[in-house]
Amino acid sequence: MNLRFHWMMPKGGELEMKTAQETSRVLTTREKSPAALPDMQGWTRFARCAEDAGIESVLLSFSRYEPDTMFVACAVGRATKKLKFIVAYRLGLMQPATFVQQVNTLSGLIQGRVALNIVAGSSTTEQRGYGDFLEHDERYARADEFLEICQGFWQRNGPVDFDGTYCRVERGKLLTPFLSPDRTRPEIYVSGHSEQAKALALARGSCWLRLIDTPEKLEPLVRPFRERGIEVCLRLCVICRPTREKAIEAAKRLLPDEEIERQERNILTASDSQTLKQALAAADEIGWLNRHLWAGLVPYYGSSAMTLLGSAQELAQTFLEYKRIGVTQFIIAGWPKLEEMLIFGREVLPLIRAAEHH
Amino acid sequence: MNLRFHWMLPKGGEVVVDGRQTPYEAARYRIMSTSSSSVAPRPDMEGWTYFAQCAEEAGIDSVLISFSRYEPDPLLVSCALGMATTRLKFIAAYRSGLSLPTTFVQQVNTLAALINGRVSINIVAGSSTEEQHGYGDFLAHDERYERAEEFLSVCRKFWSGAPEVDFKGKYYCVEQGRLSTPFLAPDRAVPEIYVSGHSERSERLAYAQGTCWLRAIDTPEKLEPLVARARANGVTVCLRLAIMCRPTRAEAFRDLQALLPEDKRESTTKLKDDSQMYREKVAGNNFWLNESLWAGLAPHYGPVWTTLLGSPEELAAEFLKYKEIGVSEFIMSGWPEVDEVLRFGKEVLPLVRRAERLQVKTAHQ
Repeated sequence: MNLRFHWMMPKGGELEMKTAQETSRVLTTREKSPAALPDMQGWTRFARCAEDAGIESVLLSFSRYEPDTMFVACAVGRATKKLKFIVAYRLGLMQPATFVQQVNTLSGLIQGRVALNIVAGSSTTEQRGYGDFLEHDERYARADEFLEICQGFWQRNGPVDFDGTYCRVERGKLLTPFLSPDRTRPEIYVSGHSEQAKALALARGSCWLRLIDTPEKLEPLVRPFRERGIEVCLRLCVICRPTREKAIEAAKRLLPDEEIERQERNILTASDSQTLKQALAAADEIGWLNRHLWAGLVPYYGSSAMTLLGSAQELAQTFLEYKRIGVTQFIIAGWPKLEEMLIFGREVLPLIRAAEHH
Repeated sequence: MNLRFHWMLPKGGEVVVDGRQTPYEAARYRIMSTSSSSVAPRPDMEGWTYFAQCAEEAGIDSVLISFSRYEPDPLLVSCALGMATTRLKFIAAYRSGLSLPTTFVQQVNTLAALINGRVSINIVAGSSTEEQHGYGDFLAHDERYERAEEFLSVCRKFWSGAPEVDFKGKYYCVEQGRLSTPFLAPDRAVPEIYVSGHSERSERLAYAQGTCWLRAIDTPEKLEPLVARARANGVTVCLRLAIMCRPTRAEAFRDLQALLPEDKRESTTKLKDDSQMYREKVAGNNFWLNESLWAGLAPHYGPVWTTLLGSPEELAAEFLKYKEIGVSEFIMSGWPEVDEVLRFGKEVLPLVRRAERLQVKTAHQ
């Protein structure tokens, strides 16, 4: 099977911004950020370019700083034909039956082009702002129950009954089915590096979503998932330039000034995400994980800013190395948002497809 | 102010775009839409878009999109349909207890920003106990109202524009809640909130948290004191009804009787055992509430099938009677919906508006 490439959807207003500094999380979380508002013009343009570039899906991130992902997927999905939407959603914010009803409705409105990225929860502060007071570990236990109920509805095998610690449903019935040309339920990406996240992905997911690392480090981690028929998808940034040196130059120009750095640190260290703590540690200690994988942007832009950089040939080779160890999907970001995706579609993807055909 | 007229969104697959459908076929489709063999649970963008365009053409303000386990999620349907229209508004029904208020506000605000603020909310505290259990909600009728009250208080705190929301109640607790996406509409900072139901609890909820009390139609005489009380409590009143407009009342009644089920014992109302509106309306057997209002379909199909019938002139006069007692909005259905909404827009609404213009002139003299 061909590798599957997805891209991170820009935040509202981000398509017009040209540098990473400008689009850093400080910008998107502050008061009156353009990221708080839907940006149909920018999103539609980006989505159509993604379709042309050969990108399969866009990931829509969920937070209190942004519009609701389900509705953004609906609106942009109605304006596109092929592109799929990986909708991030936090559990604990609605009943599983309500969630399934929304996901199924969405699938019927956009020809089934919806997948889910299940996040058990982000920072405790943010969860409490939503009215969810469970702790990290309990959130995973709830997520397991939640997804079991969802799967029960998607099986469409009579009424759903469930009596758990966190969720309870009695003779649950939803008449709107998940509608898609090739599936009866959505793909479920479970993200996180903790043991609970991995267990949840194995038990209830169709794909484990995690940060990129070196192929050597990932190989043993990927294996148990592939043995159970679960895909592995890596999040990363890409910088593709004619030579590795030019790519490094471009990467260094993305480092922020000190003020942004200070604020970023405050936001990032407030998070209780394992993923982020590990990524920060990697950046501080090493910087370069191998010749093409650089963690230098992670302290400033978060854990998904782990960057694969090089020439088109080098990048294509690297993606194929991940394919050899069993990774099947990637969710990529880059700066500037649109240009980097266009470079990828034009320069890197054809090389990968040519190699895959051999 | 002019009366506001809304319409019920037809179910998926109900709208026949070429218009060849009898009133009986349309009504039966609606009744059968909750059966597991119906295609009504599937989103129907073609039929809905056609209906929405007809409704805009007819001068309809909003469409009500109902919520149940038998149909798609009304907020997402509003989103898709809102993108296919320019003026029409959407009254999305929602049950409290299905999501956290913060999540609900985030969704409503996102929707508003995507469709230029054309969204209102119809809060229903809950329908049948069985249906609520299927959603994972195990509260009893009265507690559901108490929770709905808390739910809307939290929502209103977010809509008030406070930088942070704190709330500690019996059902919900929010600590330093923040949402960056505001409710955006050209003329409002908070959506209109319709609270429906006939119980005392629902009336109180409407006064405490709603902007409009939504209930089934009755005669102007019966409604007058209730409307006066609602108006005194600062909310408007919206009536739900079915409408049958024909050249004469006799013709309207003939066509209306044709909608009765073949099996006279048939009733869909057992589905909503917890609803006082249903219990009230399906009791009794004098179906003519006055010469224009017939409740003969209610025992079979539910209270919102109580029908105002007559010629365009008679119907316009009836609407104005409701206006006199303080009612300001109506949500209607008709069979088939497309035919009836177009007929209403062409024949009844101009008469209502002309009379309203005359009233304004008289008032100014």
